[in-house]
Amino acid sequence: MTPPLPPALLVCALAMVPALQAVDYPREIRPLLRDRCSSCHGPLKQKGDLRLDAGSLIPRESHREILTRILSHDEDERMPPEGARLSAEQVALLRDWLAEGAPFPQDEVVARAPAEHWSFQPLSPGPVPRSPHAHPVDAFLFGNGAAPPRAPDTSLLRRAHLDLTGLPPTLEEQRRFEQTPDLGTVIDHLLTRPEYGERWARHWLDVVRYADSNGYERDAAKPFVWRYRDYVIESLNRDKPYDRFVLEQIAGDELDDASVETHVATGFLRLGHWDDEPADPQTDRYDQLDDIVSTTGQAFLGLTIGCARCHDHKFEPLTTRDYYSLVSIFEPLERPRKGRTELPVMVDGTEVYAWREPSAPPPLSTILIRGSATRRGEPVTPAVPVILASRQPDFPAPGRPGTGRRLGLARWIADEHNPLTARVIVNRVWQQHFGEGLVTTANDFGLMGAPPARPGLLDWLAAWFMQDARWSLKELHRLLLTSRAWQTVKTGDSPIRYRRLEAEAIRDSMLAASGQLNPKRFGPAFRPSIPAAAIEANTDKTSVWSPSAEPEASRRSVYAFIKRGLVIPMFETLDLADTVSSCPQRQVTTVAPQALTLFNGDFANAQATHFAARLRREAGPEPEQQITMAWRLALCRTPSEGEAARMKAFLAGESLEQLCRVILNLNEFVYPE
Amino acid sequence: MNRFNPHPSPRDRTRRDFFWQAGGGFAGLALADLLCRDALASSPHSALPHFPAKARHCIFLFMNGGPSQVDTFDPKPALAKYHGQPYRGDAKVGSNGRPVGHLMQSPFPFAPHGNSGLEISSLFPHLSRHADDLCVIRSVHADTAAHASGCLQMNTGGIFIGKPCLGSWLSYGLGSANANLPSFVVMTDPRGGPIGSASNWSAGYMPAAYQGTLFRGSGSPLLDLATPKGTTAQTQRRSLDLLKSLNETHLESRPGDTELMARIESYELAFRMQSEAATVVDLSTESPATLEMYGLNQPLTADFGRKCLITRRLIENGVRFIQLYSGGGHIEDTWDGHTDCIKNHRTHAAETDQPIAALIADLKRTGLWDETLLIWGGEFGRTPTSEGVGKPGRDHNWHGFSMWLAGAGVKGGQAVGATDEFGFKAVEERCHVSDLHATILHLMGIDHTRLSYPHQGLNQRLTGVEERHLVTKALA
Repeated sequence: MTPPLPPALLVCALAMVPALQAVDYPREIRPLLRDRCSSCHGPLKQKGDLRLDAGSLIPRESHREILTRILSHDEDERMPPEGARLSAEQVALLRDWLAEGAPFPQDEVVARAPAEHWSFQPLSPGPVPRSPHAHPVDAFLFGNGAAPPRAPDTSLLRRAHLDLTGLPPTLEEQRRFEQTPDLGTVIDHLLTRPEYGERWARHWLDVVRYADSNGYERDAAKPFVWRYRDYVIESLNRDKPYDRFVLEQIAGDELDDASVETHVATGFLRLGHWDDEPADPQTDRYDQLDDIVSTTGQAFLGLTIGCARCHDHKFEPLTTRDYYSLVSIFEPLERPRKGRTELPVMVDGTEVYAWREPSAPPPLSTILIRGSATRRGEPVTPAVPVILASRQPDFPAPGRPGTGRRLGLARWIADEHNPLTARVIVNRVWQQHFGEGLVTTANDFGLMGAPPARPGLLDWLAAWFMQDARWSLKELHRLLLTSRAWQTVKTGDSPIRYRRLEAEAIRDSMLAASGQLNPKRFGPAFRPSIPAAAIEANTDKTSVWSPSAEPEASRRSVYAFIKRGLVIPMFETLDLADTVSSCPQRQVTTVAPQALTLFNGDFANAQATHFAARLRREAGPEPEQQITMAWRLALCRTPSEGEAARMKAFLAGESLEQLCRVILNLNEFVYPE
Repeated sequence: MNRFNPHPSPRDRTRRDFFWQAGGGFAGLALADLLCRDALASSPHSALPHFPAKARHCIFLFMNGGPSQVDTFDPKPALAKYHGQPYRGDAKVGSNGRPVGHLMQSPFPFAPHGNSGLEISSLFPHLSRHADDLCVIRSVHADTAAHASGCLQMNTGGIFIGKPCLGSWLSYGLGSANANLPSFVVMTDPRGGPIGSASNWSAGYMPAAYQGTLFRGSGSPLLDLATPKGTTAQTQRRSLDLLKSLNETHLESRPGDTELMARIESYELAFRMQSEAATVVDLSTESPATLEMYGLNQPLTADFGRKCLITRRLIENGVRFIQLYSGGGHIEDTWDGHTDCIKNHRTHAAETDQPIAALIADLKRTGLWDETLLIWGGEFGRTPTSEGVGKPGRDHNWHGFSMWLAGAGVKGGQAVGATDEFGFKAVEERCHVSDLHATILHLMGIDHTRLSYPHQGLNQRLTGVEERHLVTKALA
């Protein structure tokens, strides 16, 4: 057979087409400048007194030389001096852009010096813009302009339920809403539901690289790690202030009011992958510390500090000294273990998955030259990155228990003067509700991250979140969901994106529709059944996975066992978060194996069977009623006449189970309005 | 551009843009990369291949457990001379506190083969006939003595989980050449998977679409490929038709939405795969002579032979990267000859020798040889000493071991690099695992320094940040 042209060939053909449109600076030029020019001509270094990392910084008189140097065949002359030459397409793009006068957006955010980078500055919340829109979010987004149309009520009902709880509205909830279509009441109610915490905990678990096992050869279960997962769910449901949530996860054991709960919270630090038979134990120790420092930096501060392990960060004003100063904060931690077996720590009779910090004097911390565990450099003491602190925070004197190092860091992060903490979390919440963050790189607020789409709005929200909402995430949800912005119809031109549900919400919605959802909360994880074909490829294929019985396996997905070496195939194909490092946002891919899983897989077919039985039970024997109830359960609406007619015709020759399978596979089922 | 976000990140540039701009519509979409919405940097395809590729396909014959170099492709007469004497060199011997024995000669005599006179041990009588096609690299070295991290390093370039493997990089960089089959296929051993299991074909921080797809040699080759039990083909088709019809009605409210259109198409693609993938594993069209050549008529070689024959058929159908595992589970079920390396290697070599030789011959017969790269080897080698005094086992050795390349772009009939007198350490033309990866990418038309994926603030590469060297002598 003749294979279709590989993509590479298609693009080559495309490149020969003369440009009809202006060059797209944000998409074509700025990434190129940043990737290939900015390490020498950027905010950190300015060789030849030239900065080339943003359009507004490139002097017009340099245009010609830039092109000449890029095209030069003299190896001493050519730019960039290292790595590959720019491709013909890249050169053409740059040439066209320069020829157009090198245009760039007038509001491009560019720091003159690293210290001036926007996210390192204190918040500067201006007043809410004057606007006919009463809601502050709308005033910022729409100004004096009109807001896009509001979505229909029933769409918003479904949207609110899926957004806040990850489950579709029940028939009863739909009926109640039809009688009193007040979205505000619905939102208030949903924020009191325990399903809210189960939904939003999963978003946080993505950020903190949560998994239930260690990975590698033995891929052992992390003992009692599920208590950390439950801690997150409960903290969200109780609306624990976010600053306290931060303190507990980094230093819950060092707090004055430490408790079993705050010890469990520090499981955050021990969630990483772990090879119990490392190639080199010394290096491995620093790899584990790197996991903690990197995750802490990304999760709470939106900084990729891990890149300063071997050398000063190439693109951010972070030095190896900054990095190893942070490492020293965590260096006293020890992993409780007996040989290769991990142990929990006991706190007031409860097994807690956390590190232990012995009271012995902490080890001497040093910079490691080029990241090598055997090449010690200068000593370091606990400190936060210099660029972020005009004055170092206090690191409390060692006391009982612990060295107080983590407490010092945690207090600095959770302080309202920290310029990053509130911005980062507000942006994460915005991203989950609107499908895209105000900063599109939720884990990277550094120089290489995307600039904020709406700096004024982001700062206003961050300040409001700390001062008016007292770090309450539920207040933040309420604010965002009551805006017109969140309630608009999802079109290409609205601030809210049309986006597929995550794997967990798809699976949970199927269980809700079929009536099989087991609401059991908390405790050890369950194991859904996995196709034999996926297990056969495991080293220990007879013992690696024993599935739970069906009722237990019908619990919400947040309670499913996430095994690093054997990820549940249905989750994996539907773009589960990376289980190894902090995941700022789920991918959305569309591939045929998803269709195979959702159409042919055992789970989907079992739910279709239960769904059909439920319809017979609750809607009676008439196809019309069965069809109507099926659509209300799955899609929160009644089918149109045309839709109903086609389904009825289908039922004349095929079973209700088959119809249910089709409904659970509809685009509308996984793409809520 | 969305007017509410005047600063789209570079990641906004999606495969979707690419496919639609390229005018390919869905005809240009492939199974492995139908649509990736976010998080992809500007697609690398625009610059790939970086230079004309020698190979379009790649087959990695993974000898799981670590085959012994001194018993296969790296003859060491000194071992016979000093057999039974303690090793006094400076290489760290063995792994994980296992007992260290004395130097142990190979019971498998080496002989020169082909016009080149390449030396191969008696373990591979069939493969030896293709000696002039093999480029043995005798100086490969890795960073770890453990299977889990060793397999990860050989597959992903790093000793930690979470990184994309070689096949993922090739799928990401080069895409698929057949819309109805995965671009990256993995076939494991019936005794089990390699240690680390799915981490070895994971896409790591890349979208799951780039991970290896497990392919079974019989029955239903892909996960959830078969129509559910009790559902007839006619019902399946009717259900798909209803789904399509309802989805198309829904699409009318969002005309031109590419994600919705792609999802509609993904169900049709899945349906087509059912027949295409089933055809690939249906060997009834192969002649008895072919089946015999691959060893399907003998119990010892039947499994690996079947996988090798399916491999040829997958290559014919445009699959980009195929990885075959010989050995699975633990210790003696793999090439991990701790207890009795002699018996162990005799078994595993006999299982694979004839099938691999048949695959080479068959690829040549079909003309695919000129566009296919073959890689043979495990996660590390084995010690030239025995494991325990007077015992026939050999322990792990990561300081120096042999792998071979053959096929498109490879200069065969030679051994490159050398280990020391006893075969412990690579000493001449040392080839780190990442150097090997750089060489493989090169043969596939990719400059390893230019294929990158953004993750955690860095443009990550298969070959890492350190300087790597191509094994230039291996290149034709």
